Amino acid sequence: MTEPELAEHSSAEDGPAGVTITGLHKAYGDNEVLKGIDMSVRPGEVVCLIGASGSGKSTLLRCVNRLEDPNAGTITVGSFEATDPDVDLDAMRRHIGMVFQQFNLFPHLSVLENCTITPRRVLKQPKEDAEAEAMTQLRRVGLEELAQRRPDQLSGGQQQRVAIARALTMRPALMLFDEPTSALDPETVGDVLAIMRQLAEAGMTMIVVTHEMAFAREVADRVVFMDQGRVVEEGPAAEVIGDPQQPRTQDFLRRVLNPTDVDIRD
Amino acid sequence: MALTTRDRARLSLGIQAGLFVAVLIALLFIMDWSAIHRSFFDIERIGPMFPDIITVGLVNTLQYTAVGFVLGLLGGTVLALMKLSSFPVYRWLATAYIEFFRGIPAILVFLALGFGVSIAFGWNLTSLQIAGSALGLVASAYIAETLRAGLQAVPKGQVEAARALGMPAWRAMVSIQIPQAFRIVLPPLTNEAILLTKDSSLIFVVGLTAGAAELTKFGRDGINIYQAGLTPLVAAGACYLIITVPLSILARRMEHRSPRKK
Repeated sequence: MTEPELAEHSSAEDGPAGVTITGLHKAYGDNEVLKGIDMSVRPGEVVCLIGASGSGKSTLLRCVNRLEDPNAGTITVGSFEATDPDVDLDAMRRHIGMVFQQFNLFPHLSVLENCTITPRRVLKQPKEDAEAEAMTQLRRVGLEELAQRRPDQLSGGQQQRVAIARALTMRPALMLFDEPTSALDPETVGDVLAIMRQLAEAGMTMIVVTHEMAFAREVADRVVFMDQGRVVEEGPAAEVIGDPQQPRTQDFLRRVLNPTDVDIRD
Repeated sequence: MALTTRDRARLSLGIQAGLFVAVLIALLFIMDWSAIHRSFFDIERIGPMFPDIITVGLVNTLQYTAVGFVLGLLGGTVLALMKLSSFPVYRWLATAYIEFFRGIPAILVFLALGFGVSIAFGWNLTSLQIAGSALGLVASAYIAETLRAGLQAVPKGQVEAARALGMPAWRAMVSIQIPQAFRIVLPPLTNEAILLTKDSSLIFVVGLTAGAAELTKFGRDGINIYQAGLTPLVAAGACYLIITVPLSILARRMEHRSPRKK
């Protein structure tokens, strides 16, 4: 890695980054998944994306760190123009942590190595520094005593907490969560949400795709409801979840909050 | 007397085992033991084959195979990456190579390297160079297809997670995708190593000096030297097992050590 890149990395530790999305379109062939999204996230803000599956919320999240290439529109993350064709994607992604529904821990590496491989191989940190930072983050998620284990020896909830620690070792300025609790056993969901809440309170900018309405209501500064590739309603969590104005939002929340109270005729 | 399904299954199994043992005993009785001993197991007469068959033959076989396998692994990795490349010319070249070297008998590759190279370039290759590169060329083709399948079997989320952390594509390939692919392809790679061990005998077609003789050469020459029937070939065969069986055991050990995927 060259010197300017290293300098860039340390500058990101100055604080959380904001995100600005304008006119974002994404289509897979004829299937238009995002139909013009405008959205912004202030530094340190926690935004929850809610909506039915297929509404485009995961795709939107994956466009932010360019795991998906949008067809049109612009995205800015901190000082990075994510949609600029000349942007250094790897440098940008080092500032953006991502947590996946399926954890995606590296099964051939120990918990500790999962957390140190990128700092060591990409940022060229000395082994001791990378391990010290990894242990700090593992302690933060309450798993430092499992550092030598393999991912397949951990429960789903523990794996997801390691995935969060792994992302944090890169000192990100923005964290993306893609349905982080959807693949977990119900009894382990709470631990993961508690760590996310802690992270939010520490001032991290977070975009969270989730079906956990209670979490969204308590932790999110803002909730964005998406349907069929568009933002239908957004606002403070208490307003969007507690008193939705749009019929589609009302309908979605009724289904999610009272899953047994669904009119089977529609 | 009513038989349950289970009783009937046991009875059937018992009859099969009984028949098998009866046939075996009958064969043992009618076999000409002294002729078998003279033709295949005349250990006393082949005494002078030792220790050379081990110190020279087995060592040469191991060397030819090891060089071939390492070259095959390197070539196979490059070809597998070419096959998965987004650049069509690479894919075509890799496909053409694989189809060619998988499709022709390995003996032709040995002949081409043993005689063709010296005719074309005037280079005189050693037995190790010929055997190693011939086995390497052939193994590359087989290993390439195995590795390609292994690389594709690594879940997509693994590479996504690596890229999302900021790893460049090559680093995600080297540190995340390739190590996991190797664990997946360990059993077929072991198979390939065992096949190579035996294919190393094809070096006989270019002729071998005494110091370069491998196991099969020892066996074939022994037939003329020791007047012990085919016993020298049996000895050579046993030496192949000395290589291949531990290889299988080692591979099984490594497989058990690597993490299970859920």
